[in-house]
Amino acid sequence: MARRPRTGDARPSGGHERELIERVIRRDMAAFEKLYRIYQPRLTRFVSTLVQRPQLVEEVLDDTMMVVWDTAESFRGTSKLSTWIFAIAYRKALRARARWPDPVEDDSLNTRVSDEPGPDHQLRHNRLHDALLAAMGSLSADHRAVVDLTYFHGLGYREIAEIMECPVDTVKTRMFHARRRLKAALPGSFEDWM
Amino acid sequence: MEDRIRTPHDEAEELLPWYATGQLDADERSRLEAHLSECADCRSQLSIERRMVEQFQALTPEVNEGWARLRRRIEAPVAPRRRPIAEAAAEFWHILTRPAVAALATAQVAFVAFAATTLPSMTAPAYQALSSAPAPSSANVIVMFRPEATEFDIRGALNATGASLVGGPTPANAYLLHVPEKARATALAKLRDDDEVTLAEPIDGVAS
Repeated sequence: MARRPRTGDARPSGGHERELIERVIRRDMAAFEKLYRIYQPRLTRFVSTLVQRPQLVEEVLDDTMMVVWDTAESFRGTSKLSTWIFAIAYRKALRARARWPDPVEDDSLNTRVSDEPGPDHQLRHNRLHDALLAAMGSLSADHRAVVDLTYFHGLGYREIAEIMECPVDTVKTRMFHARRRLKAALPGSFEDWM
Repeated sequence: MEDRIRTPHDEAEELLPWYATGQLDADERSRLEAHLSECADCRSQLSIERRMVEQFQALTPEVNEGWARLRRRIEAPVAPRRRPIAEAAAEFWHILTRPAVAALATAQVAFVAFAATTLPSMTAPAYQALSSAPAPSSANVIVMFRPEATEFDIRGALNATGASLVGGPTPANAYLLHVPEKARATALAKLRDDDEVTLAEPIDGVAS
């Protein structure tokens, strides 16, 4: 049986979020704060896959939540609230990227793997994490976003397509190629870490 | 139509990640399970997908980024927080004697001397005791840009470092900035790395 990721379990129910957004439309600041606290960690992670400068991440996050506050009444409820908010964040992040391309030398995502001291003192799973982060850093921003939305945020491909305003087949193709790159970048064979 | 060229195996391969996260609808799930029952390759891919989900749940790039940032700060050749005046002066001299900025040297020396003695008291609130934390709006960095730097370059440098403009341009074309105290070393390092910046120095550090 397929499993849901842990984030899925921790996510508030759609009904609860709907109630919050209805209160936000009535300018209820306490409800907006609750919404912010629910989305801040998830959006920070998502936006970080698209822009690498920490200040830009904060700026995109704040701009996104300002749009939510200012235009809450335009949320029609035809999609999930999370899809609507992530789509705003995606557009804001793209605009931020256009203004401030990632620094060429920024290796924060592309964490160095090979120049660390010998593996004797390192746990195997740390090497695996390093390798995954390095592999993520080698992907394009859109591929990183699809991977993280799938594996970490636990979103379906239709929801991802809605957020990124692209055809579902594009999401599937991006995921397919990204998975190949990730697997190729992992240390040793899969049997080593399975 | 895509169904004519895509086999059940192709579809399964594409959908495995969302099967692993429980995000497929009932039809897709039953098609995929039918294929899984007869394809050992996809079954092995599925266990990899499940492992990927676990790994990504535990993956925290923000921690790695934070650590990379802190390590860069620790390993930066110059740690400009509260340096002795002699050390700061030596570095000013080094900067000023570079050929590229030699033409500006006279103005800069005059300005830096002025800044070191006067600006901190001009920019800090009058009530501030020496031992108290600087008020948020007081300048704590001086920066000078290349004469060719555009407004876009300057704005970019400020945005990239989280600096806000407190004053300037002065007659010597310097700007007084405020950056959060915690981020000042990083901001100074970034400014110094910026090709458009000819000088970036802490100023309240000089005054204390």
